[in-house]
Amino acid sequence: MSTIDEILKKKQNGLYYRRRIILPFNGHLVKVIIEDNILTDFSPSSKHIYVKEDKGFMSIYFKEYKDLEEDITKYEAIKIVIVEDGKDMFNLKNHRKLALYLHGNHELKIESADDDMLFIE
Amino acid sequence: MILNKKIFFPSLFVFLGIIFSINIFAGESNLIVKETEQLTQPSIYMVLPFIILLLLIATGPLFYKNFWERHYPKISILLGTITLVYYLYFLKDFHSMQHIFIEYVSFIALLSSLFVASGGILIKVDKKSTPLANVLFLLFGAVIANIIGTTGASMLLIRPFIKMNKDRIKPYHIIFFIFLISNVGGALTPIGDPPLFIGFLRGVPFFWVIVNVWYIWLPTIALILLVFYFVDSNNKMNTDSSANIEYSGKIEIQGGKNFIYLVVVILAVFIDPNVMSWVPSLAPFPLGIREIIMFSIVYLSYKNAHPEILKSNEFDFEPIKEVAYLFIGIFLTMVPALQLIANFAQVKHELLDTTTFYWATGILSGVLDNTPTYLNFLSAAMGKFYLDVNIQSQVLEFVTKDDIFLRAISVSAVFFGAITYIGNGPNFMVKSISERGGIEMPSFFAYLFKYAIPILIPIYLVVWLVFFR
Repeated sequence: MSTIDEILKKKQNGLYYRRRIILPFNGHLVKVIIEDNILTDFSPSSKHIYVKEDKGFMSIYFKEYKDLEEDITKYEAIKIVIVEDGKDMFNLKNHRKLALYLHGNHELKIESADDDMLFIE
Repeated sequence: MILNKKIFFPSLFVFLGIIFSINIFAGESNLIVKETEQLTQPSIYMVLPFIILLLLIATGPLFYKNFWERHYPKISILLGTITLVYYLYFLKDFHSMQHIFIEYVSFIALLSSLFVASGGILIKVDKKSTPLANVLFLLFGAVIANIIGTTGASMLLIRPFIKMNKDRIKPYHIIFFIFLISNVGGALTPIGDPPLFIGFLRGVPFFWVIVNVWYIWLPTIALILLVFYFVDSNNKMNTDSSANIEYSGKIEIQGGKNFIYLVVVILAVFIDPNVMSWVPSLAPFPLGIREIIMFSIVYLSYKNAHPEILKSNEFDFEPIKEVAYLFIGIFLTMVPALQLIANFAQVKHELLDTTTFYWATGILSGVLDNTPTYLNFLSAAMGKFYLDVNIQSQVLEFVTKDDIFLRAISVSAVFFGAITYIGNGPNFMVKSISERGGIEMPSFFAYLFKYAIPILIPIYLVVWLVFFR
């Protein structure tokens, strides 16, 4: 399984299918921002989001969306704060801010959120 | 938002444009309006769609967010359509609807052009956030709101303000930004806020506002900044971690060419047949030359913007779409409310004094659009002297006769726009951009009761006691 750093270095893409995105790593989500919705409740009862971990990848389902492509435009990012599996959740330095772009053809571009981006944890 | 609106909104816009430009109801309504002006007064019950819409805007995101986010465009349009059908079919009053649609188009043209043009500009501020630095930033924004409008200043400065404060940002930062830059700041010139611009179009001299309002503006800004300084000084969040970071103090601007677009939009504001006699009126077509220029700027500034800047700004049309959808409902449904207020003000104008003008204009500007509110109370104030707001020379006569009423109306129409999220166009857009950046903004009621009323009302009370009592 690749680490987030390796994924970013290799510019490896994730995937998306309608309301589901698939990330090629495992981790614990801390915060997700999609449009103007700020999501921090990742419990199974959440009405907004469902997270499923598999070996080597994780899926995030945005329950309120039918098809992400209809709403997320090309300059818009789905922003996530995530702690990679095995890293200390309580060390804020391990909180990775990632920006995910729908690239077309089911490809999800994964980038580290840079300083220019408006992204408050 | 969670709805595919790519086709729906442009179609609606074109549909309404066609209805009003071909003027299908005009033949009949002209006669009726001229002969029986009093009969066109709407029923009091027609205020209900407006009240329902306001209640839904206030409670939707709070109590039934999913439903609201999915359906608010339809709800807003449906309630607006009830008013539209009532006026066209029952009152046979085409003109009120045509007039409000033209105002709506102008409103959206200005907001969208400033929104898109400023979305292509990236301002990086590498400066440590301190209460004093924030005060200076907000003061700067309040001043330039008078040059590029509250909308332009808000769109341009909200991102750098958040970034500058990224280590210690709290919702109050955004709220004071809305108070100062999106509203109160723009009280000095007709470009600052739309009500003052309408006054200018009607005949209020351009520099009358700054000459007569600066001494009210200055202490109000100072008081709000003082409260902000006090609140911000008590924010100790992340002060330790940011102490070790080195800041260059530099301000870097990318996409500077978009300032040219902003200047064009601001100049276009004056391209109006009422200001420049050579400007052709395109009536009954619902767009004027000004709006055509502004919509062209929307297209050009988006097409020519640097993709990396758009990406950094996470540019998206959604905030302006949200404003467009909500305000089409607000604009249409508020017509009966405004007409009833105007009628009351004109009939009972002897009961109205400076205090009533100040508070009534203010409170209504907080929940209605402040431009028509300003106009209706200006009309009522002029009615006290048997002058007509539709005649420019009489507006000028009114200004020279006794301008305390105009001062009260001008100040409160602008200042009270900060009372709610819907009081002024940029308020909603600033909220939306902040939420997209990850800041959890207070709900409609929390904004009103936790921030706007406790902070602004005492200050506005002082303004009233000192200047208008």
